[in-house]
Amino acid sequence: MTQKIADVLENCLERIFRGENIGDCLQDYPEQSTELEPLLKFSCSLIQKSSAIQPGVEFKDSVRSQLQRAVSAKFEPRRTKISIWRRRWAVALTSILIIFVASMGAVTASQKALPNEPLYPMKLAAERVNLALTFSDLDKAVLHIQFAQRRTAEMAEVARWGETDKAFLLSEKASAHLDQLDKILGVEKTWEAKSPKILAPTPLPAPFISQGGEVDEAGNGEGLAAILDNERTRNLNKLQTALDKAPEELKPLLKQAIADMKMSYDKTIFIIQSGANS
Amino acid sequence: MSIEEDVITRAIKGDGEAFAQLYEEYFGKIYRYVYLRLGNRDEAEDLTQQVFVKALEAIGRYKWRNLPFASWLFRIAHNQMIDYFRRENKIEKVEWNDNISRNDEPGPDSIVQHQFEAEELSENIKKLPPAQRDVISLRFGAGFSVAEAAKALRKNPGTVKALQYNAIVTLRKMMVGAE
Repeated sequence: MTQKIADVLENCLERIFRGENIGDCLQDYPEQSTELEPLLKFSCSLIQKSSAIQPGVEFKDSVRSQLQRAVSAKFEPRRTKISIWRRRWAVALTSILIIFVASMGAVTASQKALPNEPLYPMKLAAERVNLALTFSDLDKAVLHIQFAQRRTAEMAEVARWGETDKAFLLSEKASAHLDQLDKILGVEKTWEAKSPKILAPTPLPAPFISQGGEVDEAGNGEGLAAILDNERTRNLNKLQTALDKAPEELKPLLKQAIADMKMSYDKTIFIIQSGANS
Repeated sequence: MSIEEDVITRAIKGDGEAFAQLYEEYFGKIYRYVYLRLGNRDEAEDLTQQVFVKALEAIGRYKWRNLPFASWLFRIAHNQMIDYFRRENKIEKVEWNDNISRNDEPGPDSIVQHQFEAEELSENIKKLPPAQRDVISLRFGAGFSVAEAAKALRKNPGTVKALQYNAIVTLRKMMVGAE
């Protein structure tokens, strides 16, 4: 009996993680609905509380830097080894050139790739290389703005496919680019003295939360929409602050980014809410 | 070969860029898992950092076989946590302060409020039996599927579902009752 209800609960949780609402799940299990309903409502509140736990941006950046140094140190001996094989140098260089020429085509093709498409990792790698090879702060700022726009456009696209969990991840990635922009423009400290480790999800509208503090049966889709709405506000605030402090040549791009990002978030939230309410 | 397999294969071969992609993908998940188990921000940060340093050291030895990468990474996190408790001479037990109540809530600052809620959740998770604690932190913190959690915990999916059910029932009794 316990195993049966445990299976049903898991089945419903999977559906909720995918963006379905509690009502749909309960309709499919009328016999268990009395026991199931409070557990699912409580699970939704767990999802919401857990999703608000985020590592701080500064901490994440510092670990990334530490790992980059460790990666360099770890693989340095390999580069030394290669130098021993000097006779193969010409062959290796030729191979690299061939691969480079071939990969240039792939990199170009990857620029329109979307998450889950085979060329998407190449697109991200190309972006990192592009950033690494850009030395002027202004050019780096331009790239971070463009990449943040790309991530939010991709977010709307994955939401359209029904992969709402990835939408949040892409929103976070856009946010990370804006944090980098923030650092370049030297305005980070004016936004927040210390980046919060626990992000506050958007307060839910009153009918959404019951007296017991549980999430109402609008379910996870609405919860995710509320979280993304919060992300929308945070990211647009970051862009607006950047716009206020940016040099004149960056302003047209920032204005365009604000408009594009608004549209992408509106589209994504609409799709998720439509899914949750359907 | 899936995209993730490709990235992991490259990371195993020493591609720093591929490892960076894995870091971006899993950092938040591991942090949430560790935070839910420890309930302390600074300690969760330290441990998350150690997990990725260990992962970088060990990635050359990772083999696909039947263990998904997420489950492998979790095992590192789990081992780090065991080391942590041993090192700090802490017993993984409940340190719940019964005096914490709604009346002690911090002010209106919503960030503090949600931090309080996250700490409260973590404190209640600590009261669960270890197996339930792991399942709930993996499912709701790290976002693992039942299949991934089952592999990471070396249990069958049916057991994981039962543990999840019992954990949710118990947590609900503790937290809704507390409110």
